[in-house]
Amino acid sequence: MKNRLKILRAERDWSQADLAQRLEVSRQSVNAIETGKFDPSLPLAFKLARLFGLRIEEIFEDERS
Amino acid sequence: MKWCSGNHEQRKFRVRCLVAAILTVVFAFVAAGVFRLFHPHGVVAYLVAILPALPILWVLIEMGRYLAEEKDEFQRNLLVQCMLGGIGGTLAVTTVWGYMEDFARAPRLDLVWVYPIFWLFVGLAWPVVYRRYK
Repeated sequence: MKNRLKILRAERDWSQADLAQRLEVSRQSVNAIETGKFDPSLPLAFKLARLFGLRIEEIFEDERS
Repeated sequence: MKWCSGNHEQRKFRVRCLVAAILTVVFAFVAAGVFRLFHPHGVVAYLVAILPALPILWVLIEMGRYLAEEKDEFQRNLLVQCMLGGIGGTLAVTTVWGYMEDFARAPRLDLVWVYPIFWLFVGLAWPVVYRRYK
């Protein structure tokens, strides 16, 4: 699933490790989500949304819409 | 992968697997010694014989506990995929070998090898699964 994580992270000058620490997941998890190779669960997607102060659909792009 | 790397749950799981591996070897020697020295029979023989299997059963329980406790869903997903590789590989090898035993009189595969075969395939699946997410 396409997402804006890399851009949002860059805007805040966070590394993947910084974001991983804030989400309490591994850096590999952030990388896999960011590159669209792993889709996060709803709870993790909500956590990401809360962290960036955005709605889920503002971070993740539904490719079918 | 470094022994001390990973999150708290992963380190805890690895330590418990190491302890279980040591206990398996110790219990195997104990069971062998008891059979050599005391020649137990009946229920006692069965109880002594299953001694080395107990730590292995403990690891299986720990695997379930790790999957339940792991908060990082991506890491949990990686282990589940590796375990599926392990289960698939073990089923494939034991099924093929079973037919080879039945029809081609291949040497009998001792059932104690099923568990190491499972971990062998988990280990083989690991780089394949990891490469998928690089």
